[in-house]
Amino acid sequence: MINRRRKEIGLLTAVCAGLVLFLSHAGSEVSALVLQTSNGIRKPIAIERAPQRVIKDQYPSFSAVAVDADSNMLVVTDENLFQILEYDRRENTPPQARLSEPKRIISGPNTRAEMMCGAYIDPVTKEIYVVNNDTQNWLPVFSRDARGNVAPSRYLAAPHGTFGIAVNEESQQMFLTVQHQNSIVVYRKQASGDEKPLRTIQGSETQLEDPHGITLDLKNKLIYVSNFGNAQVLPPGSRGGRRAPEGYGKFDPPSITVYPLDASGNVKPLWTIEGPHTMMNWPSHIVLHEARQELFVANDADDSILVFRATDKGDVAPIRMIKGPNTGIKNPPGIALDVKNSEISVVSMGTHSVLIFPVTANGDVKPSRVVRGGPSNQVALNIGNPGAVGYDSKRDQILVPN
Amino acid sequence: MHDIRYDEVHDEFFVVNPFAEAVLAFRAESSGQESPVRIIQGPHVKIGGTRLAVDPVHNEIFVPDATRIRVYPRDANGDVAPIRIIEGPETQLARAESVAVDPVNNILVVGFNKVGDEPDGAIFMFNRTDNGNVKPRAVIRGPKSEIIRINQMAVYPPKKLIVAAMPGIEEMMEPPTAFLGVWTYDDNGEVPPKWKIPIGPKTTLKKPFGVVLNPKNKEVIISDMRLNAVLTFSVPEIF
Repeated sequence: MINRRRKEIGLLTAVCAGLVLFLSHAGSEVSALVLQTSNGIRKPIAIERAPQRVIKDQYPSFSAVAVDADSNMLVVTDENLFQILEYDRRENTPPQARLSEPKRIISGPNTRAEMMCGAYIDPVTKEIYVVNNDTQNWLPVFSRDARGNVAPSRYLAAPHGTFGIAVNEESQQMFLTVQHQNSIVVYRKQASGDEKPLRTIQGSETQLEDPHGITLDLKNKLIYVSNFGNAQVLPPGSRGGRRAPEGYGKFDPPSITVYPLDASGNVKPLWTIEGPHTMMNWPSHIVLHEARQELFVANDADDSILVFRATDKGDVAPIRMIKGPNTGIKNPPGIALDVKNSEISVVSMGTHSVLIFPVTANGDVKPSRVVRGGPSNQVALNIGNPGAVGYDSKRDQILVPN
Repeated sequence: MHDIRYDEVHDEFFVVNPFAEAVLAFRAESSGQESPVRIIQGPHVKIGGTRLAVDPVHNEIFVPDATRIRVYPRDANGDVAPIRIIEGPETQLARAESVAVDPVNNILVVGFNKVGDEPDGAIFMFNRTDNGNVKPRAVIRGPKSEIIRINQMAVYPPKKLIVAAMPGIEEMMEPPTAFLGVWTYDDNGEVPPKWKIPIGPKTTLKKPFGVVLNPKNKEVIISDMRLNAVLTFSVPEIF
């Protein structure tokens, strides 16, 4: 208590010293102000000079990945330089190479693509769908030939804070998770403009808690969703939504919630995977291997890939886990499945790379291939959407929230 | 996270987790997946905003939530109700997005957001201790103010300055109207900024989102969303 009091007095003393300093210079400051306002209208003084220092990662921060085995497309979104990059699926960056050059890049203000966190490749047209998260409310779609600063072939006004995307090609429906509303929205796959969703899963019963990844089991007619656990407690029957006045916040464990494929409204999950044995920690994109009935989870904050049985329920341990220094996995938000070649592609945001493993990989194993967007020895800064900045005056450190 | 505030007196930093509607206090030296030392969260808390300001002298936290500003004890932990709320028609609060507090001159500065067809943003000034349905002591807005929307703000008590990050029109990826603006507490009405750090090739700025001051080195530190970068400018003339 005494220490705290001393600290408070110390700050007040420092502030008072600042005031004394200010008063000693007040005369010259007032003169400058008078000059600026002599005609009654202040003219801003433009401070046009180069910054003294810049903290910036010049390489991409890979966030999501999609693979089309038939056309050997490996598409990666980049949250740092705001790019969509296409590589050859078989690309493998040589250890001595600085990076792999993509086959094409889509990027620029005309694209309506910025802080992208989800990607999908149409298996027929090879169009690329990307999901923006917190900075732009668009879901743009690009043709097979698009490159550079091009307008999308079409775009949908998506809810603010969409993250995951999954498509039911049988019914031609597109499923999106929405972080900011704790919801799943289902659109026509070809939806564009201001088209409204066909249905929404949202509300007090859904246990959607900061939903991120989404994947479909068309064989068993199920939707799987990964949740970070940032929950909104709502009264029974409430639909909720962003900043719902009837709700309040709560931290729950991360989870995977499972719903019927045709679910709509304020529905309970059929079952959940949740608890300390699951080892989930920011479970981001997820993908289901239908034939193997296995669920792969990009476990962002644990630098790991978790594999569960599709039927697992409750507090269960994963049946396999890819994790360790040999894997090269660092902050993996994205994962894609290549059934044809029995591979998974893992986005490692912390190392500017995409890592390819066999679907059966387990433990601290090396990837079969690596696609690097930056040098192997380069630290990824992971600055993404820096909405603010802080300064720790005691340690002379800059604090950057993402 | 859309805000972070370092408290030099207590050597902590504060953030808002909007998805879990919580204010989190961390040890300043926190690293890795260290838990916060305190969490303000629960049915009595009602954190509705994404940004905050911390007054380490009077031990208070301010959180804007569109039409109101909630004030909590700095050392609150758990389901703690606000100790004051500035709200009501007299306050004219609408789309309040960001706050900055000056514990020396007892000023609370509030920045307004703008989405879509909403009116342009504004800077409102209240007394630090205001409570309830009170009138602002000053409002800066209008075309000549060049304010469209405001993200993070900082204040500099010795010179009574307001420094605000202006990212421009939200729907535009690279809005030509983005800049960093500096006003004074004496400004009121449709007043242009006293200083501005513009976007463009000289400054390299594109979309300022965050700002913090380092008075010791006379520096303005800016986070830029479109660059995903942090830029430090030497600006001795404003200090």
